[in-house]
Amino acid sequence: MDFLLYLLPHLLNGVALGLLFALIALGFMLIIGVMEVINLAHGSLFALGAYFALSLMTPDGGLKLGIAQLLFDLPIGWRYVIVLILAPIGVAVVGMGLEVCLRRTYGKDPLYGLLLTFGAALVLEELIRLTWGPTERFIPMPPSITGAVFIGDLIYSKYRFFASGFAILMIGLLWLFLEKTPYGALIKAGAHDSEMVRALGVNLTRLRLFVFGFGTALAAIAGIVMAPIWGVRPHVGVDAVVPAFVIIVLGGVGSFWGAVIAGLLVGMVVGLTGAYATDWSLIAMYILLILVVTFRARGLLGKKSVLEL
Amino acid sequence: MLVAFAIFGTLPFWISEIGLYPYLGAEVLIFCIYALGYNVLLGYGGLPSFGHGAYFGIGAYAFGLAQFNLSSSLWLCLVAAILAAAFFGAIVSLFISHRRGIYFALMTIAFGQMFFFIASKWTSVTKGEDGLLNILRLPADFGFAAYPIQRNIPFYWFVFGCFVVTIIVLWRVVNSPFGKVVQAIKQNEARTAFLGYNVVLYKAAVFTLSCAVAGFAGALFAMAQGGAFVQVMNLQWSGVVVLMVLIGGGFVSFWGPVLGVVLYFVARDLLGVYTDTWQLWFGLLFMLVVMFKPEGLAGIWQGIVYRKQKPRSSASLHLLVMLRGR
Repeated sequence: MDFLLYLLPHLLNGVALGLLFALIALGFMLIIGVMEVINLAHGSLFALGAYFALSLMTPDGGLKLGIAQLLFDLPIGWRYVIVLILAPIGVAVVGMGLEVCLRRTYGKDPLYGLLLTFGAALVLEELIRLTWGPTERFIPMPPSITGAVFIGDLIYSKYRFFASGFAILMIGLLWLFLEKTPYGALIKAGAHDSEMVRALGVNLTRLRLFVFGFGTALAAIAGIVMAPIWGVRPHVGVDAVVPAFVIIVLGGVGSFWGAVIAGLLVGMVVGLTGAYATDWSLIAMYILLILVVTFRARGLLGKKSVLEL
Repeated sequence: MLVAFAIFGTLPFWISEIGLYPYLGAEVLIFCIYALGYNVLLGYGGLPSFGHGAYFGIGAYAFGLAQFNLSSSLWLCLVAAILAAAFFGAIVSLFISHRRGIYFALMTIAFGQMFFFIASKWTSVTKGEDGLLNILRLPADFGFAAYPIQRNIPFYWFVFGCFVVTIIVLWRVVNSPFGKVVQAIKQNEARTAFLGYNVVLYKAAVFTLSCAVAGFAGALFAMAQGGAFVQVMNLQWSGVVVLMVLIGGGFVSFWGPVLGVVLYFVARDLLGVYTDTWQLWFGLLFMLVVMFKPEGLAGIWQGIVYRKQKPRSSASLHLLVMLRGR
């Protein structure tokens, strides 16, 4: 029983982490699907989301506009809700800017898209460092979702329950959006065969712009929710983009539930290594990536894709 | 090419005059060695590695450890550094050489980050964040005479010698039958395999070679800095060499990386005086290069040369295009 009590928090940590990873990975996958681009800047946009949230939550985030003062006067709970909407939109705009830059690489070797987003990742990281400084920052949270909960003998962070619940909600909404709306159908069709979608009279340029913005907004949301767990640092991006890739590879490109299952799996692995060997929990991810790519590059539920060129 | 040799060969005589210092010259040459070795992989093999800093770092650590525990002979320590980097590169190549493009890139990131974490956590060997300090510039002993290279100018000459040797070796490699096969793999891997070449083996070999060169450069860098530090192994430093090679034009020219390295250091030292944000501008320049001119500086130069020659050779070129297009 004691053993379980020791393990349970780590398992729950793993689930919370896994659900957020899945959220990052789904945005990453939308971009791979429609644009056939591996967005190495995804992690930097994830970090940017957290920093935008920081600026909107507290005056010491560096935002000095008059309108922002209205925001700072609101009670913290409402402010948090507004930030959860505004910050991803801001990041989506940055993401769309990146998509415009990426247009020149479409139809070329996917290597160019990779190199461009790699450069963008470095630029974004440097911008973050210049704007907000290199040190670790903390975003204040509404008191209603911080603190601890007690379930029997188990003491657990309330925030992680919130984070898991929020991630489940977002994943559910995303699924509904992709499966039940005409826009979702367009995105899926674009991932299947984008040239054919254009031939049917859809404005592919606009679709791509929108999907890129949407995918990066998902990364930003995950970044905001993850901020209290990981802390807000300029170089947090790498730690986010690698799990996304591991999850995509593990779950299979183009598979929604594959990504969710793989996200949970990766989260568990990281959570459990965290329980027994803290130093190794980040390396575990890279070892997992190496094993997966070595033995089953197509993943659990994957189909043949651009990655296998 | 002659220009490059002329500039680097006389550098110690004039660099102090223009307000710079010989140490910078040595650093530039070390990174030229690193970038040229990397370009054999990226430019000739078409294999993007985003974790090359790891082998650079392994070379630096191996040099330091060999010096402390093994021998005080410069040559032995350098060989140890090269072998260590080549050894780890060879192991990694077993995992990655049957991959290409994006998977290859991501695998190199994964391995690079792994080596980085190990180097920063294995404090009993690498001294972690503090770095392995007090690495000496051992005297270069040629048998008949030994030269101390403690001071910066003799050290520069030593690095220049290493640079020349590296260039001769790499030039021979890329223009050998081996190099032609590697270039063929870049253009069409499946077709090269159908011709009977064991492409996996060639890719593993070229990866190992470029790791060995990175290790060599790492060892020289450890001498230059007097220590081995874990920072060179992180993703950002691994990225810097990709930036240098691409901006310089590694895709189209053997000499491209040299241009890129020089541009990088000039930007660092000149722009760095005026603004702290020079890395940002360099990153943006990189993005522009990928977007508009992936062939880089060397590509621009070749474009100019080609345009001058165009009236003469357009007919034969036309024929060539027709033949290629079939």
